[in-house]
Amino acid sequence: MSFTQQEPTVRSRWWLYGLLTAALAAVMAPFIWMVLGSFKSNAELRQAPPTWWPEEASFNNYIELFSRLNFGQFFFNSTAVAVVVTAGNLIFCSMVGYALAMLDFRGKNVLFALIMGTLMIPGVVTFVPLFVLVANAGLVNTLPGLMLPFLVAPFGVFLMRQFMIGLPKDLLDAARVDGAGELRIFFRVFLPLCGPALATLGILTFLGSWNNFLWPLVVAQTEDTYTLPVALALYSTGQNATQYGLLLAGATTVVLPVLLVFMVFQRRFIQGIATTGMK
Amino acid sequence: MRSTRMMLALTAGTALVLTGCGRDDGGSGTDAAPETGEEISTEDVAGEIDVWAMGAEGEKLPDLAEQFEDAHDGVTVNVTAIPWDSAHDKFTTSITAGTTPDVAMVGTTWMGEFAGLDALDPAPGSIDSSAFFEGAQETAVVDGTAYGVPWYVETRLVYYRTDIAEEAGYTEVPTDWEGFRQMAADMQEKGGAEWGISLQPGGVGSWQTVLPLAWTNGAEIAGEDAYQFDTPEVAEAVEYYQSFFTDGIANPSPPEGQTEADFTSGDVPMFISGPWMRGIVEDMGGEGFAEQYDVAPIPVPEGGTSSSFVGGSNLAVFQQTDNRDTAWAFVEWLTEPETQVTWFEETANLPSVQSAWEDDALASDEKLTAFGTQLETAQAPPSFPTWEEVVTSFDTEMEKVAKAEADPQEALDAVQAQAESIGTGQ
Amino acid sequence: MASATTTPRRRSTDRRRGETGDPEQKGRGLRRGGKSHTVGRRREERAAWILALPFLVLFLTFTAWPVIQSTFMSLTDTQARDLRTPFAVDFVGLDNFSQALADPIFRQAAFNTAYFVLVGVPLTLTMALAAALALDKGIGKFRSFFRLGFYTPVVTSIVAVAVVWRFLLHPDAGLVNTVIGWVGVDGPNWLGSTTWAMPSLIAMASWRNFGTAMIIFLAGLQSVPWSLHEAAAIDGANAVQRFRHITLPLLKPTILFVSVTTAIGYLQFFEEPFVMTDGGPLNSTISASMYTFQQFSFGNYGYAAALSYLIFVVIVIVTAIQFRVLRERD
Repeated sequence: MSFTQQEPTVRSRWWLYGLLTAALAAVMAPFIWMVLGSFKSNAELRQAPPTWWPEEASFNNYIELFSRLNFGQFFFNSTAVAVVVTAGNLIFCSMVGYALAMLDFRGKNVLFALIMGTLMIPGVVTFVPLFVLVANAGLVNTLPGLMLPFLVAPFGVFLMRQFMIGLPKDLLDAARVDGAGELRIFFRVFLPLCGPALATLGILTFLGSWNNFLWPLVVAQTEDTYTLPVALALYSTGQNATQYGLLLAGATTVVLPVLLVFMVFQRRFIQGIATTGMK
Repeated sequence: MRSTRMMLALTAGTALVLTGCGRDDGGSGTDAAPETGEEISTEDVAGEIDVWAMGAEGEKLPDLAEQFEDAHDGVTVNVTAIPWDSAHDKFTTSITAGTTPDVAMVGTTWMGEFAGLDALDPAPGSIDSSAFFEGAQETAVVDGTAYGVPWYVETRLVYYRTDIAEEAGYTEVPTDWEGFRQMAADMQEKGGAEWGISLQPGGVGSWQTVLPLAWTNGAEIAGEDAYQFDTPEVAEAVEYYQSFFTDGIANPSPPEGQTEADFTSGDVPMFISGPWMRGIVEDMGGEGFAEQYDVAPIPVPEGGTSSSFVGGSNLAVFQQTDNRDTAWAFVEWLTEPETQVTWFEETANLPSVQSAWEDDALASDEKLTAFGTQLETAQAPPSFPTWEEVVTSFDTEMEKVAKAEADPQEALDAVQAQAESIGTGQ
Repeated sequence: MASATTTPRRRSTDRRRGETGDPEQKGRGLRRGGKSHTVGRRREERAAWILALPFLVLFLTFTAWPVIQSTFMSLTDTQARDLRTPFAVDFVGLDNFSQALADPIFRQAAFNTAYFVLVGVPLTLTMALAAALALDKGIGKFRSFFRLGFYTPVVTSIVAVAVVWRFLLHPDAGLVNTVIGWVGVDGPNWLGSTTWAMPSLIAMASWRNFGTAMIIFLAGLQSVPWSLHEAAAIDGANAVQRFRHITLPLLKPTILFVSVTTAIGYLQFFEEPFVMTDGGPLNSTISASMYTFQQFSFGNYGYAAALSYLIFVVIVIVTAIQFRVLRERD
């Protein structure tokens, strides 16, 4: 009973498009306001009620931000950390996720319970012990200090396990009959089927790492290890008054790479099972 | 190397769990420290120091530090700028892990906490504490010992719309409590304003509005080693504060972040805030707005004394520094009157050193002079390590007073009970 | 490997069982076969641990270890100043926990959090699933455009979000009150009212978070074969029936995942009140996590750790209930 999955042909439903468009407008409004706001002056941003279109649009906020920041360095740091962390999560979490979903081994339930348990512990409670650990290991003010603690996450394991549990188990048996080694089965047979799940995990992990603020702030001791969000917060938040223009320009800058990553990963949504031709 | 250290860290931690624990009696807290730290030697000023400073200060300090480097051969000052956002968390975690810098800019209300963590180095006696505004200097003193110096200061004044005040029949702001409230009411009735004044109705930071009123009424918030929130002086001030809400002069639930906009539009023609607001309202009000408003001192009750809140930032040297002489020499240099004037010109931060205010750059600005005058009597909250925690309960109770018509004395009794159960932390 | 030589027909029922992911049944199936299976089993076991090894090393060091330390802290009177000499603290047993349970602000915060979770989680999941279904099979064009658009709240800076939402909810000039004013309703001061502040934050949180849940649902929906829908449609099943009998069962592991992680996130909600209301008015929006965070920044580590573990216990219970209700076995 094997067949080729076809992209569904859908009648266009005008009412659904209408509904989705209305929803889209409501959903995107703050985002659009953020982008438009980054072209406004501080005075205009403090007006009540706020304006939608900039009265006098200008790039001043961006010019000020980039002339004051060593942008290249921060961008590099953020990218390096986010890419390594995302790669680590994609590889290591899918490995464990597969073991938990498909293989049978002693201690499996304990391991899964342990992972689920730590997923549920509020992060704030482990922050200080984690920092002391990283400081004692001499990793303060280094990029590895920013990456290592986030290289794997219980969230990723749970996500991959839940996805793989829905994959056909007979693929495993069939591959074993063909004499493939266990690791080979994972990398060659199952991993390619996980496109949508890996894309989702990639987007979420990249976003989380890219926006992480408190950890890089605390671990970085000099500006060479600052990441973008830390650097962007430097001049926008003050002791008493917030520079809204700089803040919105910074927020817009920091979000663009995330959208790019989203667009790259989301192509993989339509792959996975659908393209393997077997089911 | 790294992996060995990591292993060590892990074993040390395991020991922690296995050996159990117990508090060393008398070992906790700050032991009585001397009033001043050891003297520094000016001959040993050399080598590198790491300095942390927040936001714009961190950005502009390197230029200023260059002058210090020029004057001292062989000195390198490495400045790291830190965002204000979460700066406090960065400091406390760094203190915990022993990764502090040599010198840092420290918020005035953090001094008690950091000194309580045994993180700060007592200031040497060579720094003349009488050169600073008294209220500002007190923020650096914890349990009798100065752990730093004021770097720059700010204080709060009443901002009011002169044009609307005139319509209501006022050419200047009455300096007494009753007259002041009447003026706010008149601006609302005769001046066409929606509300007479914008006062923060409790909530985070509202103590900065309420406590100055208590201070003008002669209140002492803290004794030697205890909080005193339930005195009649404080209660009267809170009653006065509450009357603005119950009389309908101030809005008990104003929309967030609209104070400046309401001020320039004339909807709410008075508020109490610091010097940074000048730039903001003049920016928003457009050309000529500077002539439409003025600043006035915090009103004082009959028989009371002038006061306000003093804020700003201090400079402190961390105990873990391995270049103490250079660190303090740099701090001393930053508080010389000439350096302070240069710093004012660079950043608009108000000098903490009184004599710097005689310079033309400051003395020629009338509104600025008003801030300078208020600074002479402005006060700071007690530098107990638990201040931030205690004041949170104060802020919560003030919200009940402003919004839910809670009885001021009962509210203060609740604050006092909380304060006593928390303790001073010293 | 005799058990693998099945007819295609048999295989398809096997697949069904695989989907439901019952480890016990799989194990039994493997154990049944005799000697060659113990070798296979050992190989399988070794492979599983090899696959788990890199994760385990990092996980034990950077996650489990700090967790153990913080658990220890919750049983002591540790304060910030003790962290450099972590041995010199007193064991207080469960004092921190009993103090927390008697703390009126924490009780209020716990109530607020429960309210937030009970309304917020179903709302977010419904919004996300509706959006995912519409984007997966409902429309043919502009899918990726809508997908990106619906995800933007997740990436928008919380500060911008706060400004716009405050404007929307403004008592006089706000869009919400203007719109309901058209039908003659006098809208409340949303964020300034003890009754309406929490519903406002719930709406905001659902709006901010449904994008994440949506893309996870979209990934899950990829494993629902279109041909099953077509076959069912030929048999005369309508859209609702197909959703209930085809999509929903196959989507169960994903629904479990989304509902567990959303509940965990919401039980720790923090940002919305932090930027919008500071927990007010009159503590009506203070959350358990926000209160815990406050205690941490005051340096009361022992107490704050105890609060965190109380939240943890609640999360465990809620998660266990979800695993029960949405259990993977049919």
